[in-house]
Amino acid sequence: MELAEQGHPSKKRLNWIVGGILLGLLNTFAVATYGALGASRNYVVVDGFLLRLFGTDLASTNSYLSQMPSRADWLLMVALGMVIGGFLAALLTGTINTRSVPQLWKSRFGDSKPKRFAAAFVGGFLLLFGARIAGGCTSGLVLSGVAQLSIAGFLFGAAIFASAIPTAMLLYRKKAS
Amino acid sequence: MSGTFITIAQTASDSVGIVGGSDARAIIFGLLTGIAFGAILQRVGASSYALIVNMLRLKDLTIMKFFFLAVAVGSLGIYVTESFGTVHIGIAPLYLVGITVGGLIFGVGWAVSGYCPGTSLVAMGEGKTDAAITVFGGLVGALALALTWDWIEPNLVQPLNYGPKSLPEVLGVKPLLVAVVLTAIIVAFVMYLDHLSAGPKAAEGSETPGAVT
Repeated sequence: MELAEQGHPSKKRLNWIVGGILLGLLNTFAVATYGALGASRNYVVVDGFLLRLFGTDLASTNSYLSQMPSRADWLLMVALGMVIGGFLAALLTGTINTRSVPQLWKSRFGDSKPKRFAAAFVGGFLLLFGARIAGGCTSGLVLSGVAQLSIAGFLFGAAIFASAIPTAMLLYRKKAS
Repeated sequence: MSGTFITIAQTASDSVGIVGGSDARAIIFGLLTGIAFGAILQRVGASSYALIVNMLRLKDLTIMKFFFLAVAVGSLGIYVTESFGTVHIGIAPLYLVGITVGGLIFGVGWAVSGYCPGTSLVAMGEGKTDAAITVFGGLVGALALALTWDWIEPNLVQPLNYGPKSLPEVLGVKPLLVAVVLTAIIVAFVMYLDHLSAGPKAAEGSETPGAVT
């Protein structure tokens, strides 16, 4: 643990034990008040809003989009809150960071912005395409799903690590460039 | 979210797909809950590309320990609360093909972007422009899913679909007992991971000192 923190000396981070307990309590609070924390469904809801804004009727005719709420609900506000929470926490601790290319990425793939943006876009596409097939993401199916003892959450958790670990290893394999 | 929209969708009313309500109180609670969620993720470093990718390379397990501990505390918290009060538990439907395929696709996106659907929102809030691109990619990916749903649902979601299935239900044991045992297992596992990272492997992992972004 000490060594892990030494790897990131520039800004003081919240200890993972404190953070883990806080997030577990927050999840308990969420389930006690309105429902489990989740993120990925909100992307579909925002898609529906945008399509309505652009005047297409796809949001009501598409078999998937039409299952989504046409107005803000508790869960959508969680997503909006996450953006604000990230902003406020960074602002208050002086860790606002407007970089485009992460340091670690730079050390492996160079500092080309288009290259990083292309990866960020493709990654985001796969994240949400996959999450919506499965019915949730790291938040909804693992953080909340496993905590609620959904078997689907255990399966999804195993599947995401089963492909993410080899992919990361492959991207950062020792040889080449 | 637990994929409950699949059942909710059958009723075509004004409240289609609403999760947790859309009244003023629900809106305020959702916003405050989200702010706390985002702030915790940001402070721990879960919205850091380096910490996520180094976790997936098994070089720095800080975020894995954080996340697993959060799952354990949440499970215990939820089922302790349930034993003396009301909770809004939503068990996700278990469909073997779609969850496995979706999870494998998700994992590739996770490693390539360094974010997940939630942490990309937080990182975007922090100002990271690549995270905003990931959010945009996510909106396009979610749209692509919607446009192909008529093929995906019969081929990936309906086969081997057992509906909402929970561990205590299958085991025939009280949920609180399962939650207590699961919490104990996770905490032991996290302590083991922490023990590992105190060993020589972590020194190797700190090959990118200061790579907080």
